[in-house]
Amino acid sequence: MNRIGKHATPNRPTGKFSFGMFTFVICFLYTPLVILVAYSFNQSKMMSWGGFSLRWYSELFFNSESLWHSFGNSAIIAVTSATISTAIGTLGAIGFYWYRFKFKKLIRIAAFVPILIPEIIIGVSLLIFFAGIKLNLSLFTIFLAHTTFNIPFVLMVVTARLEEFDFTIIEAAYDLGAKELQTLAKVILPAAFPGIMSGFLIAVTLSLEDFVVTFFVSGRGSATLPLHIYSMIRFGVSPVINALSVIVIAGTVVLAVLSRNVVKYMFQK
Amino acid sequence: MKGSQVTVKGVEKYFGGFHALKNVSLGINKGEFYSLLGPSGCGKTTLLRIIAGFEDPSAGAVFLDDRDVIPIAANKRPVNTVFQTYALFPHLSVFENVAFPLRLKKLPNAAVKEKVGEFLELVKLPKEGGKLPSQLSGGQKQRVAIARALINEPSVLLLDEPLSALDAKLRQHMLIELDAIHDKIGITFIYVTHDQQEALSVSDRVAVMNEGEVVQVGTPSEIYESPSCPFVAHFIGETNYLGGEVAEVLDGKHARVDFPGIGALYVYQDKPLSVGDGVKVTVRPEKIRISSDKPEGQAGRMNVLEGTVDELIYSGFQSKFFVRVSASATFRIFRQHVKYFMDEKAINWKDKVYIWWNDNDGYVVEAEKNP
Amino acid sequence: MKKNLGPAYVAPITVWLCVFFVIPISIIVYYSFLTKGFNGGVVHKFSLDAFRALYNPTIFKITFNTFWVACVSTAVMVALAVPAAYYMARSRHKNFFMLLVIIPFWTNFLIRIYAWMAVLGNNGVVNHALLSMGLIDRHIQFLYNTNAVILVAVYTYLPFAILPLYSTIEKFDFSLVEAARDLGATKLAATLRVLVPNIRGGITTAVLFTFIPAFGNYAIPQIIGGSSSYMLGNVIARELTVTRNWPLASSISLVITALTTLGVLIFMRFNRSASEEARERAQDNAPMSAMPQVSAQSTGTGASE
Repeated sequence: MNRIGKHATPNRPTGKFSFGMFTFVICFLYTPLVILVAYSFNQSKMMSWGGFSLRWYSELFFNSESLWHSFGNSAIIAVTSATISTAIGTLGAIGFYWYRFKFKKLIRIAAFVPILIPEIIIGVSLLIFFAGIKLNLSLFTIFLAHTTFNIPFVLMVVTARLEEFDFTIIEAAYDLGAKELQTLAKVILPAAFPGIMSGFLIAVTLSLEDFVVTFFVSGRGSATLPLHIYSMIRFGVSPVINALSVIVIAGTVVLAVLSRNVVKYMFQK
Repeated sequence: MKGSQVTVKGVEKYFGGFHALKNVSLGINKGEFYSLLGPSGCGKTTLLRIIAGFEDPSAGAVFLDDRDVIPIAANKRPVNTVFQTYALFPHLSVFENVAFPLRLKKLPNAAVKEKVGEFLELVKLPKEGGKLPSQLSGGQKQRVAIARALINEPSVLLLDEPLSALDAKLRQHMLIELDAIHDKIGITFIYVTHDQQEALSVSDRVAVMNEGEVVQVGTPSEIYESPSCPFVAHFIGETNYLGGEVAEVLDGKHARVDFPGIGALYVYQDKPLSVGDGVKVTVRPEKIRISSDKPEGQAGRMNVLEGTVDELIYSGFQSKFFVRVSASATFRIFRQHVKYFMDEKAINWKDKVYIWWNDNDGYVVEAEKNP
Repeated sequence: MKKNLGPAYVAPITVWLCVFFVIPISIIVYYSFLTKGFNGGVVHKFSLDAFRALYNPTIFKITFNTFWVACVSTAVMVALAVPAAYYMARSRHKNFFMLLVIIPFWTNFLIRIYAWMAVLGNNGVVNHALLSMGLIDRHIQFLYNTNAVILVAVYTYLPFAILPLYSTIEKFDFSLVEAARDLGATKLAATLRVLVPNIRGGITTAVLFTFIPAFGNYAIPQIIGGSSSYMLGNVIARELTVTRNWPLASSISLVITALTTLGVLIFMRFNRSASEEARERAQDNAPMSAMPQVSAQSTGTGASE
């Protein structure tokens, strides 16, 4: 079924109701963001239109050192925690998927539990834990916390990818004389690479995004971007945040376009 | 008769710019086993979906008996479908799948039980009611789909390539059962397939479709023996297809035709021909006899050619020969192994052979008037 | 026979999650049974004070409010997400629509909350517009109440409901709906009897992925809620960082964990029993023993298939 098949497939009876709901959802999701973008070019400090201006962008780029410092913190933590959690999560996914051993089922289920627990619980328990072992709150504690909540997501995403591919290729590799490590490096990891990449990207996103856990485990001077934003918006509208939002949204669009298949693995069972 | 008469009148269907059905008209009799046969993309499934009510035609009408059914939604039409992929509900057991239409009508449990039992019996699955579709084999799923489509007692059953997912042997078996079910319940069956053997073996009549048009309607033997156009001649079975020029019109039913590279041959024709007309002729491979000895004592107007065996394919019940009669012409010939093969004189590769056939076995498909 | 390297692969994840997840959670459990220290921290002396403190009308009210926010926002999200995901999965432009949903989803959480302050805040766009049109003389307080918390929760978590539903609906075989229509079902009946049971897995995931964050919500009520819309998450933060009653923060954390787990279990149980029930009913009705005779032919094909 080629050219003709494409046309001859049933015309899609997409209902008016579902179309209406979808349109509503998209409008709902985008209206506030569009307003932020529009008002980032507003001359006025208030949310009433005072003419076009780039002053908030110049404020953002040339007069917001602490914001950029917190952005730097976020970037460092995102990359390091995503790297470590991807490594740990990928190894775990391969181990769970390919081997049989004692307590496997128990450990596997337990490894998914952090996803099902409200974030605040992770934040609170880590804060109390760090206090208990007398670890001062700093970027390092944020890194530990982020790695912890990232691991189960990486595990989930990589597992979904592994379930997609044909494990006889591993048997084929052994059959052709590859050793354990060679098989891992030359067959398993390349085959699972899209999943690993997705896992890494999700970890970066979750880390950049996180406010709740970070709020509890950050110390003085270790503010991340979300914490900085929080301190700015607590008391109302801030035009610099409008400008920042545009940068963030633009960055998100680029990231989303570049990594479209990431989400594919995210909600598979 | 329980079935309905189905009349399709001037149906057109466009998908965007694609013209899927071009002025299709058909008259299907009550209780007939009617096939729509054609290659994929010829519009047969679209036509079936229009009759079922899943698609609306761009123009034209469909009548069940004398009622125009286009305004009637799919769920209200007295027509049910057996889907190509079976479309069994995976979350429901076999029993509940078959019971689905009855549950919609809120029939009392006892009645549902009795009726579903009866239809599972009809498709010979009386014991599988408790299973889920995923626990069934392909053939069993097929039977469930048939039972489910029949339980509403439709006046027309539509079958959309119902056997395409089954292996060849099982397909044969299911065909026989479908035929038996059709005989038993006597409603109209409209059967869509791209497999000419399926269509020929069970249908009362066949409509051959190509590129959105119905190109021939007839009984299986009419379709096979007297194809109305080159497409039908090629699509149904294998054939030898020759082009030549009329040399002599004989008795109104026969003609002598000159074929370049072959010579003059006698053919059967039912069209008004005159000398000099260009014609296309089909000769079915099984009609041609082959032997290493020159045929003798044959009555009537016989076509006899000499050639060499180019290729020979043995397939148990028959052999297929490709015999070259000239640099430009090769005939394919089927020889049934009716005798124990040691009794027949063996013909081998590169052998010189004679091939011959009766004047009635070459059929003029197409004629072009000499300008 | 190859060596079993399974434990080696799994060791890092096991150790990490033990140290940074299992132990901290255990500490919370432990702390909730201790006496509170004078200036934060705990005194290692057994006490049930932290649990007794839960037994008070304010906590009840807040717990109720938390449930209310979580349930209402989950219900709204699923109700919006099912048709929206259905439309996306059926569309020719599904990849593009998917991208449309992902972009706001990946935009920073706080910025998405902030966007609603900019729209509905006292100095927000809507108030400015209404004031300048002279429709009102002073700003309307849209935010800082429970409905605002629900609105923003729906806004921020909605993609969590759409994405899993989209991926199950996309895999759904739509010829089943056609089959149901063909067998006499109305559009509504086909949706309820065929579509919904077959995308149950996606609905479950959607409910879990929205209910859990909505229930453990902290940032949204903190930023956009008022004193009337306090949620359990806010109480924990207050006890931890302001009042510095760590045993109480721990016991509330336990309550949240227990209630979420309970909610999840009840939901999954309810969900499973519904489909099991259907299956059992089917088996009751199957005329299995009633039909003693089996045709040789059908068993024959059964074996050969």
